[in-house]
Amino acid sequence: MLVSMKWLKELVDVDLAVPDFVERLDMTGTAVEAVRTRGEELEGVVIGSVLMKEPHPDADKLVYCRVDIGTGDPLRIVCGATNFEVGDKVPVACVGATLPNGLTIKKAKLRGFTSEGMMCSAPELGLGGDATRLLVLPPDAPVGVRFSEYQGTTDTILELEVTPNRPDCLSMAGVAREVAAVTGKTARRPSSAPAESGTPVTESVSVEIADPDLCPRYTGRLIRGVKIGPSPPWLAERVTSAGARSVNNIVDITNLVMFELGQPLHAFDASTLATREGVGAVTVRRARDGEVLTTLDGQRRTLDSEMLVIADDSGAIALAGVMGGESTEVTSETRDILLESACFNPSSVSRTSRSLALISEASMRFERGGDPQGCVDALDRAAALMAEIARGQVAPGIVDAYPVPASDRLLELRVERMNSILGTDIPIEESAAILSALGMEVTPSDSKTLSVSVPTFRSDLEREIDLVEEVVRAWGMERVSSTLPGGRGRIGRLTPRQRWIRRIDATMRAVGLNETMTYAFIDPTDLERTRMSLGEEERFVEIVNPMSEEQAVMRWSLLPGLLRSVSYNQRRGVFDVHLYEIGTVFSTSSGRKLPREHTAVGGVLTGAWSSQVWSGDSHPLDFFDGKGVVEALAEDLGSTGLSLRVSELDWLQPGRSAEVLLDRKAAGWLGEVHPKVAAALGAEPPIVAFELDVDALLDAAHDTRTYTEIPRFPAVTFDVALVVDESVTAERVEQAIRKSGGALLDSVRLFDVYRGKGVPEGSKSLAWALSYRAPDRTLTDDEVRPVHEKLVRKVCAAVNAHLRGE
Amino acid sequence: MSIIDELQSLKAEALASIADAETLSQLDSVRVTFLGKKGSLTRVLRGVGFLPAEERPVVGKISNEVRAVLEAAIQERQAALAEADLAARVSADAIDVTLPGRKRLPGRKHLINQIAEEVVDIFLGLGYMVAEGPEVELDHYNFTALNHPPTHPARSATDTFYVRDLSQGLDEDQGPVTEVLLRTHTSPVQVRVMERQKPPVYVIVPGRVYRRDIADPSHLPQFQQIEGLAVDEGITFGDLKGTLDYVCKELFGRDRMTRFRPHFFPFTEPSAEVDVSCGICAGSGCRFCKKTGWLEILGCGIVDPNVFGYVDVDPEVHTGFAFGMGVERIAALRYDIPDLRMLVEGDMRFLRQF
Repeated sequence: MLVSMKWLKELVDVDLAVPDFVERLDMTGTAVEAVRTRGEELEGVVIGSVLMKEPHPDADKLVYCRVDIGTGDPLRIVCGATNFEVGDKVPVACVGATLPNGLTIKKAKLRGFTSEGMMCSAPELGLGGDATRLLVLPPDAPVGVRFSEYQGTTDTILELEVTPNRPDCLSMAGVAREVAAVTGKTARRPSSAPAESGTPVTESVSVEIADPDLCPRYTGRLIRGVKIGPSPPWLAERVTSAGARSVNNIVDITNLVMFELGQPLHAFDASTLATREGVGAVTVRRARDGEVLTTLDGQRRTLDSEMLVIADDSGAIALAGVMGGESTEVTSETRDILLESACFNPSSVSRTSRSLALISEASMRFERGGDPQGCVDALDRAAALMAEIARGQVAPGIVDAYPVPASDRLLELRVERMNSILGTDIPIEESAAILSALGMEVTPSDSKTLSVSVPTFRSDLEREIDLVEEVVRAWGMERVSSTLPGGRGRIGRLTPRQRWIRRIDATMRAVGLNETMTYAFIDPTDLERTRMSLGEEERFVEIVNPMSEEQAVMRWSLLPGLLRSVSYNQRRGVFDVHLYEIGTVFSTSSGRKLPREHTAVGGVLTGAWSSQVWSGDSHPLDFFDGKGVVEALAEDLGSTGLSLRVSELDWLQPGRSAEVLLDRKAAGWLGEVHPKVAAALGAEPPIVAFELDVDALLDAAHDTRTYTEIPRFPAVTFDVALVVDESVTAERVEQAIRKSGGALLDSVRLFDVYRGKGVPEGSKSLAWALSYRAPDRTLTDDEVRPVHEKLVRKVCAAVNAHLRGE
Repeated sequence: MSIIDELQSLKAEALASIADAETLSQLDSVRVTFLGKKGSLTRVLRGVGFLPAEERPVVGKISNEVRAVLEAAIQERQAALAEADLAARVSADAIDVTLPGRKRLPGRKHLINQIAEEVVDIFLGLGYMVAEGPEVELDHYNFTALNHPPTHPARSATDTFYVRDLSQGLDEDQGPVTEVLLRTHTSPVQVRVMERQKPPVYVIVPGRVYRRDIADPSHLPQFQQIEGLAVDEGITFGDLKGTLDYVCKELFGRDRMTRFRPHFFPFTEPSAEVDVSCGICAGSGCRFCKKTGWLEILGCGIVDPNVFGYVDVDPEVHTGFAFGMGVERIAALRYDIPDLRMLVEGDMRFLRQF
């Protein structure tokens, strides 16, 4: 909502300076989004006097002029208009000026003549009038003075953010009422009663509402014999200050009254209405499915029965509350005007304007709620102006279809209750004064309660709490003292699950991964790209109205997003990437309304922990670095049940791919991303990745740990290198060792894996350090050796191994 | 030469050799040469048996003295050599201490989650529990039960992401607006919490929300919000002010001020927007705060009785306040982030800064 300060000051006294005024509005709930100075756009337009006017030698339709703009150096201007003489005063846009229509004036050559500016028509200056004629000013217009200054169009315009509950503030009168209430002034409401003449309106027009649920009230007046023409400057200025374009006197009057009183009006050319026995019969009814209407913007629109139209016997002539129809449009030939002032159902207007993508000043007001009681005031005001400005004759009477007249709402405000909600001590008298200033009728029903009659223009005030808000915003939220809730005591604590997730988060960072966030919506074709799959019955969670096809489904895995982040880094020369994300993954299936949501923790590692360090240790990250992360996580969660199951997962490189099990239950996967998958997402392998289900992790987590005695006696360690077939896993060998170990075996550690010289093709050597220890004495080599030799024999038999070098 | 003279010259010779020994092993061979079983001193002493009996005690005494002197000299020399040896090793071990350290840096938490955790921790201290809710929500929780009228513009398919509803099977033809959506705020969790918990309720709700905004420097179609809800007997608008004022000071600094501007939200009344005083100009107005001296930071209000109606809380008995803040907004204000899209790109160079 644009508010001209000049206009506003006619409706209410404002004695605050602009910044203070703006702050007062801000602090009482009318947000001022911007403050602009009007007239600035006419910077560079000055008043000039024509010194010379000669025909252009090479162009019939152009004239060549010299124009004095008070600088002592008359401008050379080539001009297309001819409605002026030497000595006339005209507005001149100098080089560099930008006009309201966006045109920037440059020095130009027109048919060989230099033109150093432009003499302007009224529309070029944002005013109403004939675009083919220069705006010739009175002879006393001062040469060289800025046009906006001369016109008095310099003005401060406030851009207000009117919240959806306050349609009453979408008008100058409404803003003035609000301003009066919060600054302690009195608003002046514009109104006029038209002088009536001729035959009564009812002899020419009838109105009927067929669907009163969508149209509480429809009123009309007939103005005969209007002369359509440009608006007088004050009218053009008013409507342009409110953000509209000056069209002609009739359209401008309807807009003026809408801006002034907040009531949208529509003018029909009365002669175009289909008549029934000489009477133009207007019906407000639902459109028929498939009914067609060409609106004022020239668009042919197909309607449906959810939309409301104004119709005559020939069909729809306007889209109620949204836009008029072309067939009944006011033209320069129009003589008789049927003026509509009505109230339409907000939801219906909203639906219609949205489904046709047609938002107008009128629809914007109606969808927030009109005031049926305000229809006639606006009608009278516009009719009076049409009589005055367009010399029309206002037919006696109005047509008024108003099936169920609206009445003021009665509310009670318990002042004690209000103060207990606010934490204030606002006196009853002060509360009453605030509500009265806002236009309500207030009477105390007892010493603690106000009885409040709410006028129909404040349809947002329906309950006591709405009045509480009115009082506190005008009284001043800044005056409410700050306290903290008391209550009977409470405890702030994370739940066990929330604490575990923080633990997972901390472990991820402790092992060197950095947290990232990726988009939760991804490309459905990422499923093929990553060679992943959903379960048999599982479906994507599809977005009906995605921003793009690349973001059309909710992620079922963190992997696609994380791989894209790897690619993003690599393409920018960052090759050491260690990322993790804890986030929601989604899937659904037939019959589900809400999808399944799981929290997952995923990670990607590529490059080295730290490349190019002088001290070495920058091995390229591989499977085992990822496995190390998963192991660290399991350990930190107190889980001893971690195991990997060799498993060929399509998105991982065969042979470097495993399922992660916790207490033998599936918890996720781990591996090196298949080179084809990496390539499909623009990332460079090798990339280690994993994804684990957080709830599976939490199921395996234990937060009770038990104390085990620290050994008091030293261990005896024997190393053994066992040559086994490639197909024998380290895990199998370790299990065999532990099984054969006996009571003295204390720990088993793999310290080397060797292939090559001395080890046959197809075999590998696994070197183990086995520690033996007794809890009650120091063991000797002699005591341990037979135990160790027996163990080695048993293991060799179990996994078909032999000692390296034998 | 008498045996005494021999001992004296042996002593002089041995002392010279000890002084000449350059290493501990040389010193040791000197010791063996003079004091060992087959050493010079032993050999000389063998001659003592041939001396007259009266001379023997004198020679014995002198020889013991010589041995004591030599042993002391060797010990002293040994200490000196060990000292020199250590000094040499230490000197050889010197390094350039300005070379970079060997480190495995711990990872960093994402900026947004750092802030979210910070806010959550402030509220844990104020006695709030952390609540969560689904990111894919029902219209009922996201809009209806939060007092949004059926025609509320936020419900349009241009503002809100709708999700295909499979409750009627896979083939059902669906319009652009279904009953299932990506939550547009964390407020539906208010309703879910109050459905399962009677007052008093003090919860803080961090979570991801979605709006149909094109990603640009100041918008993301997904972002993080933190919702707060307090419902109890006697909760006041003043409590809301005090709580948020405390939180803003914790987040931005003790010297920052807050102001409450009346506003409109469907699910609170009275409602307000909260501004925090600009940290750059301290409220006098600068480019950062668009000359207002204030930065908008969150929305809040007293829980609307209509919301209580949906969850069966009696507004005559209980009152409550609720607020919601955008974490990205706080991040942008605190760190002057030029482009919010950096938050979802995963650039290591960005993530490691915070």
